Amino acid sequence: MTTYINVARYHLVQRLNYLILPWAILAFVFVVDVVILALTPAGDSSHRYVGGLASIFVIVFVLGLQSVARSLPFGLALGLSRRSYYLGTTLLAVALSAVAGAVVTAGQAIERGTGGWGMSMGFFRVPYILDGSWYLTWLTSFVALILLFVYGIWFGLVYRRWNLAGLVVFIAAQITVLLIAALATTWTHAWHDIGHFFTALSAAGLTGLLAALTAALFAGGFSTMRRLTV
Amino acid sequence: MTPTISVTGLTRRYRDQLALDDVTVDIHGPCITGLLGRNGAGKSTLMRIIASQEFASTGTVRVFGASPVENDAILRRMVLVREDQAFPDFKVCHALRAASWFYPNWSAELAETLLSDFDLPANRMIKKLSRGMRSALGIVIGLAAQAEITLFDEPYAGLDAVARQLFYDRLLAGYAERPSTVILSTHLIDEAADLLEQVVMIDRGRIVLDAAADDVRGSATTVSGPIAAVEEFVAGRPTWDRRRMASQESVVVAGTFDNGDWSRARELHLNLESLSLQQVMVHAAGQASGRSKETTNA
Repeated sequence: MTTYINVARYHLVQRLNYLILPWAILAFVFVVDVVILALTPAGDSSHRYVGGLASIFVIVFVLGLQSVARSLPFGLALGLSRRSYYLGTTLLAVALSAVAGAVVTAGQAIERGTGGWGMSMGFFRVPYILDGSWYLTWLTSFVALILLFVYGIWFGLVYRRWNLAGLVVFIAAQITVLLIAALATTWTHAWHDIGHFFTALSAAGLTGLLAALTAALFAGGFSTMRRLTV
Repeated sequence: MTPTISVTGLTRRYRDQLALDDVTVDIHGPCITGLLGRNGAGKSTLMRIIASQEFASTGTVRVFGASPVENDAILRRMVLVREDQAFPDFKVCHALRAASWFYPNWSAELAETLLSDFDLPANRMIKKLSRGMRSALGIVIGLAAQAEITLFDEPYAGLDAVARQLFYDRLLAGYAERPSTVILSTHLIDEAADLLEQVVMIDRGRIVLDAAADDVRGSATTVSGPIAAVEEFVAGRPTWDRRRMASQESVVVAGTFDNGDWSRARELHLNLESLSLQQVMVHAAGQASGRSKETTNA
């Protein structure tokens, strides 16, 4: 465990990337949304969703990417196995996501308490997905953030092993999988069932689904990592 | 006794190129071994496979009797200093601090001393360092780690002569204090010759020489003098190289000479000169690549 914690510390040496920039960007996006909302007429709706929260998810994906970019060769030069590096980096993803999830949860509480920052703004609330009790908000954002971090790691590892061509194949393969799934759904006339499945899915159920997807991405990244050379 | 590093039948194939071809070599520590060979001979590949940064196509590598692949317990006893090491966006002091977390025998004190010896600015970003300074940083990490196995792969690209001498001195001082297994790959053979106890030479992915440095040093001699006298003296001996200049000839003879040989050479007014390690290596490389042994300069 000490080794994994040290790997997380190794990443956190780049304090700016992991601890400062994400929050600076989120704060900036928040201010931008506030200004835009102040400039536009309120209309009748009591909730004005702005979607700026998506930035933190994008940032976390990019953090995942860069955690296996330039840090990886030196990491493996420090007498670490690939497995240790990968697990330590995932530990960092979990820790960062837990904190970021808490920030989202706190932001949401303040947002509710202040009538949407006094302007009916829905920044930390996302209809249906992040709109329940505080602990579900934390859990869902926690899992979703880990998912994106781990997804970013896998992208970074694919690029490291097979360069741009590999990355293109990787993305094309994912689109192909989705395409086949869509075709299969059409052929079996299952679109209705799928729609029903998602409308019936609770926020907790969605979180469970995200967790399963995260586990799959984690396994995929690990298999890519195992034969990586630096 | 189990060798510290044991490589058996190691082959590494890249698409159309054989980087290592059935390499078998044992390294018994503590010892400073020179890994010599021309550019692209396979030195770096061998070191990277030993450090588990690269994988073997076939064959096995054992370090302290176990495979180093994905083996944290083995890997942390070993440090590889690479010529082309990539660093994250770190400052020099960050890299040293990170290294201190992972190497069990890390000496912060030694790192501090080496930093000032090599005039490295602790607070400078690594990507702003010159090539020589980056090499020096690699050397500082390699020495301060005080690992049981230290692999230096061309550690001094861009380093000036003063800094190189400093590296040799520090390496020897550290080795005297706590003997370990050091493998040093280098092109500057004569410079490092005094350091080396064992010499392994690779050519085109194959081991062509694996011997004690002292044996290699005395293994060939240049005999020069008048053609007739030289020919009389070298008759029946294995020769590596033959150069003629007017009535003079100089021939490189393999093998050692006894006292009788020396006195005979004196009688014939021949000049005998032992080949340096570097010269032996150049000849060994020439032999291995099947180059013509006889060169005549009329």
